Amino acid sequence: MSVRRYQPSETVDFVVVGSGASGGVIARELSQAGFSVVVLEQGPRLTARDFEHDELKYWVLSGITNDPVTSPQTFRKDPAGTAARRPTGNSLVYARIVGGSSNHFTANYWRFRERDFHERSVLGAIAGTGFADWPIRYAELEPYYTKVEWQVGVSGLAGASPFDPPRSKPYPMPPLPVKSSGVLFERGARKLGLHPFPAPMAIASQPFRGRQACVHCGFCMGFGCEAMAKSSALYTMIPEAEATGRCEIRPESYAIRVELDPRGRAKGVAYFDRERREHLQKARAVVVSANGGETPRLLLNSACGRFPGGLANSSGLVGKYLMFNQGAAVHAVFEHELNEYKSVQVTRILHDFYDTDPKRGFYGGGGIDARMGPQPALWALASGGDLPRWGADYKSRLEAFPRSMASTGHCTSLALETNSVSIDPVLKDAWGIPAIRVTYKDHPDDLATARFLQDRSVEIMQAAGALQVWRGAVREQTGGVHLLGTCRMGDDPATSVIDKYHRTHDVPNLFLCDGSSFVTSGRGQPTMTIQALAFRAADHISRFARRHEI
Amino acid sequence: MHRINSREEEHTRRCLLLSGGGLLTGAWLAAHWPAIAAAHVHAGQMAAGASPAGFEFLNPAEAADIDAIAAQIVPGGASPGARDAHAVQFMDRALATFFADRAAMFRLGLSDFQAAFRATGTAAAAFAEADPAEQIAFLETQDHGEFFDLVRSLTVLGMFSSPKYGGNFAGAGWRLLGFEDRHVYAPPFGYYDRDYAGFESQTGKW
Repeated sequence: MSVRRYQPSETVDFVVVGSGASGGVIARELSQAGFSVVVLEQGPRLTARDFEHDELKYWVLSGITNDPVTSPQTFRKDPAGTAARRPTGNSLVYARIVGGSSNHFTANYWRFRERDFHERSVLGAIAGTGFADWPIRYAELEPYYTKVEWQVGVSGLAGASPFDPPRSKPYPMPPLPVKSSGVLFERGARKLGLHPFPAPMAIASQPFRGRQACVHCGFCMGFGCEAMAKSSALYTMIPEAEATGRCEIRPESYAIRVELDPRGRAKGVAYFDRERREHLQKARAVVVSANGGETPRLLLNSACGRFPGGLANSSGLVGKYLMFNQGAAVHAVFEHELNEYKSVQVTRILHDFYDTDPKRGFYGGGGIDARMGPQPALWALASGGDLPRWGADYKSRLEAFPRSMASTGHCTSLALETNSVSIDPVLKDAWGIPAIRVTYKDHPDDLATARFLQDRSVEIMQAAGALQVWRGAVREQTGGVHLLGTCRMGDDPATSVIDKYHRTHDVPNLFLCDGSSFVTSGRGQPTMTIQALAFRAADHISRFARRHEI
Repeated sequence: MHRINSREEEHTRRCLLLSGGGLLTGAWLAAHWPAIAAAHVHAGQMAAGASPAGFEFLNPAEAADIDAIAAQIVPGGASPGARDAHAVQFMDRALATFFADRAAMFRLGLSDFQAAFRATGTAAAAFAEADPAEQIAFLETQDHGEFFDLVRSLTVLGMFSSPKYGGNFAGAGWRLLGFEDRHVYAPPFGYYDRDYAGFESQTGKW
């Protein structure tokens, strides 16, 4: 099959910025609908053969992630303070390769529940926050969640959780084989009257759409999948987009700005190629799916005469309401071997504490999982909380590696206007493009929710018979990998950046779709919803294009 | 990043500690790949029994102190410790190559550490020559500082990263953990999933 190539000067139907979880879906859907599509991806194109089991490279040396030297960011906690580069690297971390962070994600694929979309109406306002309803409801997204499960590929067991929202179809693949961590978690949770169930994961448990089943190598989180079993965009949506003969994925093409024509419509995207030559890819419409950090950055860096405060930013909300998801870990040791370094991170979860319960005295809820924790070097690096850090106690913990597991809570982050992605007034990246400045401080309720879930994890591990339990640290976040909320959707152009169809309120042929579209944070596993939104957005965008309504 | 976990991001963040300020980066890696490849060869030679090459960054007195600190972070004994994994060799190699931007801070931190040790009025000529009880007592006064954190992180990476970077000698670190570096496994994975009876519905929905 020969892949279609376009010239930048050729006006294509759509240019999509970003080839990750969302951009991959958008590209595939629009090209299958008959449109010509060019996808600009910052990073290189790798294949399954390029991925390795090398913790130093992937966790420390920015093997596939944005590099804090060439792509630096600044951070501050206090919006009145001066931001500085973090000694620990970038605040916002994402995979900078074709397929984006869907390459290195852990692949937890939870649907949001009905409540997530209208929680503000149920609970009322929360003072000092931007807590709001979504302009769409679960029922509108349900068919697209199903599409993700069947077309991207999710393993799970429908109906296994009493708290599951309604679904139109079962999962296409059974759950992955349970691990010892899952068995123990299930045992402990049931003793406490809770409802653990098989974790839905975007990893093939059996051969699926031409890909092989998981080989249980244990290097999912933080790594690209060597077996092509993880349902990364690189292995699912991208090749299907290219197979249409209408879609070009253009790697090492770094978007600089979206350009407008004199009528105020997007005319294309300026980008650097790998030799840092600047081009303008012309298009009839632009979709930005660059992630919750890079999408607002691109808009803010596209400020122009018509939009001096940033493109499509008449609301002033581009970059605001950044949400990371809080969470907390518990580490446990058992009598016999679990060998958690084998297979996927998570095989059992529970959603008993998903909803906000006003009786707790704070907003928030989340899910709890049983997981392996990271691979050996990163696992051994863990510190904080009451974990031993050196000496005889630390060595005992290391020796207990095969008998160890973790239970992790994943929870809400409230939308705060002061938590944001903005442009650093001084710092530029290696291409000379103004860098991201992150401002972030967790709402006290987010920390309270994380501590609450951590207490539940401790109880579950103890009920499961743990010999020893350590708590990880619960602390204010200074960075994240869930990059949410920075171009929120809404019906009112004064309080949102995009409408319910992902069209910017200000520029009729500019659409945004990725984690930035979120209004609330969900409970810690956003990619499933990012992709469901992308399928839905692409449906509407195709319809608009066919009707000449773009 | 994940953070990076057991809560994913938490761990990622901690790990990125090392990429801070300093240049542990893809671009850096590409530019210095020959040096890392050399570390790989170097490790291979050691594995083959050739005599270890001399230190490139640390002088002998520094190497002795760092080796002693690492050996208290993960002591040896019945199972491998930092010394068995050649953690100090990894650190030397790292500071000479892919963590070179941390080298000056490392040396400064070590010199402060050594001065603080002498200021205790010890009879030992150097930390490395103190008896273990004295070493532990002194480390307890130092273990919340940036220098200790850096040595700890490098010790851990030196023990458990791929042996191609010069540490984890002959897989000693992975042996301590009971970790095997393989690419394919099949269930059952551990003791508790061996006789799992299957998921029992609590909902009656399936």
